[in-house]
Amino acid sequence: MIEIQNAGWYTTIQDLGRFGHQSLGVPVSGAMDLIAFNWANRLLNNDPNAACLEMTIKGPSLKFHQATHIAITGALMPALLNFNPVKMYEPIQINKGDILQFSTTKGGCRTYLALLGGLQTETVLGSKSQYKGLTRQHHIDKKSLIPFQEIPFPPKRAKIKKQLINYGDLKLEAFEGPEYHLLDTASKNTLKKKKFSISQNNNRMGYRLNEKIMQQLPQIWTAPTLPGIVQLTPDGTLIILMRDAQVTGGYPRILQLSDDALNLLAQKSTRDRIKFEITSLQ
Amino acid sequence: MRKSLPFTFFHMHPKALLLEWQQEPNTELLHEINCFKTTVKNHLKEIHQITQGYCTLLIQWKNDLENPAEVKAKLETLFWNIDFSKGNEKLKHWTIPVCYEGEFALDLEELSSGLNLSKEEIISLHSQPTYKVFFIGFLPGFLYLEGLDSRLFFPRKKTPRLEIPKGAIAIGGKQTGIYPALSPGGWQILGNTPIPLFNPDKKNPCFAASGDTLSFDPISYEEYQLILKAKNPTKYLTKKG
Repeated sequence: MIEIQNAGWYTTIQDLGRFGHQSLGVPVSGAMDLIAFNWANRLLNNDPNAACLEMTIKGPSLKFHQATHIAITGALMPALLNFNPVKMYEPIQINKGDILQFSTTKGGCRTYLALLGGLQTETVLGSKSQYKGLTRQHHIDKKSLIPFQEIPFPPKRAKIKKQLINYGDLKLEAFEGPEYHLLDTASKNTLKKKKFSISQNNNRMGYRLNEKIMQQLPQIWTAPTLPGIVQLTPDGTLIILMRDAQVTGGYPRILQLSDDALNLLAQKSTRDRIKFEITSLQ
Repeated sequence: MRKSLPFTFFHMHPKALLLEWQQEPNTELLHEINCFKTTVKNHLKEIHQITQGYCTLLIQWKNDLENPAEVKAKLETLFWNIDFSKGNEKLKHWTIPVCYEGEFALDLEELSSGLNLSKEEIISLHSQPTYKVFFIGFLPGFLYLEGLDSRLFFPRKKTPRLEIPKGAIAIGGKQTGIYPALSPGGWQILGNTPIPLFNPDKKNPCFAASGDTLSFDPISYEEYQLILKAKNPTKYLTKKG
């Protein structure tokens, strides 16, 4: 059991996501930065879908009621284990009664905490990812108790090539969306050349950008969406759909981020700048 | 006999193809899309997910498509070999009990003055038609329904409500729908159903499917309470077909 002594700013339980129910209107969910998430599980030789904690901007304080091993990946979020600094990106042994306290991120936005064998919370429609209306809780609260299985032996040392990702990189790879061709040259040039910034309206559902595209496109008949779609709303605002986004939408889709770009964007937050690198898949 | 493919391909994501029909949505198109969807599901086992909109199918794979041209050709062949004259026997009709009274009919007064119809006329116009379920989206279990009587078309609220109760029956523009869970929204509310639209604990969380039909059956406040308190409210849902 992990006891949450302080929940941090926004902490959720996530795995790879909920698949096969999008035709019932159920969002995909899952870890926002799948690269960091996968890495955390690999360090412990966990099942790739083992549930982790996704910690945003300011992490929680945790007390472990059983011994285990953990790994911390993603945004640099300094942490103290019984008041001693711990390293990220390597397995850490945890004893019964240990207290782990995270502080705020220094570069990046989301940090992952994997635990040997994964978190053993409820599975709803094939996933442990928390989502309002599906799981009992949609985020971690103070006093939450998170169960896990005590595995007495340390994880088999995983062989992982360290692959550094610069979360400060502005460039996001994007593909032309279904309505991109309806944009005029001026709008296309703005999309290609301008540096956009992330508004304070950014969360697991979507990121709104501050700068607008001043061209109105006709609405579309409601159609399926994907995480990473960039929608253009009637007032010119750009919304990038993230992993908890609605599965259908009626706004024109002007771009689609690549998977790498979507993972990188998950490490960005309010006022961070981005630049689209647009290519076509057609 | 059609000669050209009625839809276009758009390679939206390295792992996804979007198929778009360039026409207004209607029930014949829905039938065509659903037949094609079933065929694709049955023949292309490597598909990860397939979802739909009014005039679209989105097919997703687990890995990047290495040869999209080959996949498109395969899909095209599948499409031309479908016998669209066959009906779908799996389709069902659902009758959903709705209470159009008191606290549930939050905007019935406003609809009545705005549409110049009595409350009784609105209830009757809303509960008479047979609606077609086009697809499910927006929220888990939210059905996109077609078939609202044009006399009931009414604009959405200028300022959306922060909370629309679970089970609310509402009108937004040319559409009508049921809110499956408490959520913000701008539609005009005229009633409420005690039947849960989405239950994640069930093997089949949502009873309705794309292509099904549905109608609303007005019930009294007392009947509403009775169904709400029942152990299994879903048994008050009548199914045909």
